[in-house]
Amino acid sequence: MRKYFMLEINLTDESFKKTDITDIFEEYIGGTGAATKLMYDENNQANPYDPESSVYFSIGPFSNIFPVSTKTVAMFRSPLTGNMGESHAGGRMALALYGAGIHVLKITGKSKHPCFVVIENDTVEFRRANSLKGMSALATERVLRDSIKSSHKRSILRIGPAGERKSSIACAVVDGSRHFGRLGLGGVLGSKNLKAVVISGNNYLKVPDKIKFNKFYKSLYDKVVKSPLMKKYHDLGTAMNVLPLSEINGLPTRNFSQGYFENAEKIGGEAFAEKHLAQQTACAHCQVGCIHMGTLREEFNSEEHMYKMNKVSYDYELIYACGSNLSIESTDQILKILLYIEKQGWDAMSMGVVMAWATEAYQRGIIDDSHTDGLVLNFGDSQAYLQLMDNIKNERNEFYKDLEMGAAFCAEKYGGEDMAIVFGKNEAPGYMTGLYSFLGYATGVRHSHLDSGGYSIDQKAPKNEAISNELTKKLYDDAVWRMILNSMVICLFARNVYDTETIIEGLKLMDEKEYSEEALQKTARKIHVIKYRIKQRFGFEITAENIPGKLTKIQTTNGKVSEKAFKEQLEYYNSLLEKDFAEFPEITV
Amino acid sequence: MGKLLRVINREQCIGCYSCMFSCSRTWENALTIEKAALRVKNYSGVEGAFSIRACYGCTDPDCAHACPTGALTPRKGGGVKFDKSKCNGCGKCVDACVPGALQWDSENSNPLVCRQCGICVSFCPNDVLAMVEIEEKSEEVL
Repeated sequence: MRKYFMLEINLTDESFKKTDITDIFEEYIGGTGAATKLMYDENNQANPYDPESSVYFSIGPFSNIFPVSTKTVAMFRSPLTGNMGESHAGGRMALALYGAGIHVLKITGKSKHPCFVVIENDTVEFRRANSLKGMSALATERVLRDSIKSSHKRSILRIGPAGERKSSIACAVVDGSRHFGRLGLGGVLGSKNLKAVVISGNNYLKVPDKIKFNKFYKSLYDKVVKSPLMKKYHDLGTAMNVLPLSEINGLPTRNFSQGYFENAEKIGGEAFAEKHLAQQTACAHCQVGCIHMGTLREEFNSEEHMYKMNKVSYDYELIYACGSNLSIESTDQILKILLYIEKQGWDAMSMGVVMAWATEAYQRGIIDDSHTDGLVLNFGDSQAYLQLMDNIKNERNEFYKDLEMGAAFCAEKYGGEDMAIVFGKNEAPGYMTGLYSFLGYATGVRHSHLDSGGYSIDQKAPKNEAISNELTKKLYDDAVWRMILNSMVICLFARNVYDTETIIEGLKLMDEKEYSEEALQKTARKIHVIKYRIKQRFGFEITAENIPGKLTKIQTTNGKVSEKAFKEQLEYYNSLLEKDFAEFPEITV
Repeated sequence: MGKLLRVINREQCIGCYSCMFSCSRTWENALTIEKAALRVKNYSGVEGAFSIRACYGCTDPDCAHACPTGALTPRKGGGVKFDKSKCNGCGKCVDACVPGALQWDSENSNPLVCRQCGICVSFCPNDVLAMVEIEEKSEEVL
């Protein structure tokens, strides 16, 4: 087995050290497994914005070696939920960390002044960043890519002004349009006065057994490029889901009031491709290229025919959050909103849900003009949403400052909790397909649609058999298995390329620890258990989770979801977790 | 005259680096992009604008002219051959290659010479690269 290393950076005293953590990778594979174990052992009770809080970034044993093992895991305490925070991003970060010989990057402490960190192989440089203060996430990358040179490929992680303001829904942006979007990593980095990290290096592994390796690699390559497994991701991308989901009442519209959007056709993957798609781009070592870049061309001086052009990435979640859920039917306006969000460095899904909550709360009189400072909020009014975001950016009043603390925070303070569409305090993803998507968000370690495929269970289950312990067990098993995918760290779009057998074979080929299928499943359960123990430390209990009131009143793909059914299946899900707790009695809170 | 590597559809590049991985893997046994004899460059803040710098297989290569030790010599059919034993690591060859197609091995301080083998072509998912039949005396750069 090869050696794995952790680089620990302390921003308070500008120190760093590198330690051998091969033992962690041996037992917990890497990625989410390694970060979870490190976080558990650290047992850090600091609040998210305390200088002592820690952020982990980790990669896995397949990173940079096999196709589509492109992601980096970030783990931290979330300012949005107060609980464990986890978010994944692609781009070139995994490539650069591997190049720098780092498998886990841990950042702790707080710089006395705005700073950025440059890591190249074994060198770490702490640089002052007053001149980057307030700079958009996009400009920060442009500037740093120009000024920080390296003979190796660089990856640039940075935050926008939202992160600097310590917004709980601020993301951290990686290279071109990749994000650690969810759960507020941007705010945590902002609280540490850390504007950016530039990473590069030229460490590498040798090909172990050339003939075997090439054969294995080619079979993966063919599955990724030539088989139908990944086609939809580079074709229209996930945006292709807009129309079919609307047709089955699964596309959240006007703050989850209904699952059918009358203008779905205007904002679907086909419409975006026809009007805006400039090209698809890829994360490093992914031949699929699922990143869809749309051109936003705007005339800014009609008398002299002067235009400006921006490229903005779009996908299903963004179209739902800033399109149908706000009742916006213009692709141009959606891209404009997304560009604003990209520059500020917010999580687009959270911002969309927050704006939808604010609109409904305004229309129902829970908030009024005194809060919005006269801004009238109407679904479908993109100009109002651009103004709303401008008001947040300018910290116009207390209400606007609160908006970037998330929907749960606002609902608790101003009211309208049943219409704040959050699970575990995280703004909901865009699948209104039924009980299992909601159950997945509520129970998931990240409260995300990526924790388990609930939306798929909902769509496959016959309507009258849509709720059963058996299906809940299926959801649970999927969530547990994803611990392995996320420890490797394989992009979840490639989950069907990397089946159990392929993962075991790949690990063996790279002289990593040999696993049987049972051993791999046991490791998955163990990582899963540790995660929930960490979540429990921060006060999380599955059975205390709630479904937003509004979601029990609307029609989903699978009909109505009752609170009773939701609670019952939460209990059952919890019993499955309790069983796994019992398997690892040594892992306690 | 035989086939030479050409960038035939630059605009179709998605920036996956699959070509660079395949080159490093095949010729240097290295699981990295840093040992590849070609480079996919990306530009700050310009999504999707990639420039591919691959050996053009010059018939009278500037890099060979610049080499003071005779380590780089013209290859029959275009491009250069590299004799590592003669290389003094001066890097003048890389400076002489105006498009920046000749890459540098910073670990071993020597150039990474394209063998015109076409492995990068077979691992390009979007037909950006191709091995193209080049007629004798043709100086055309596609």
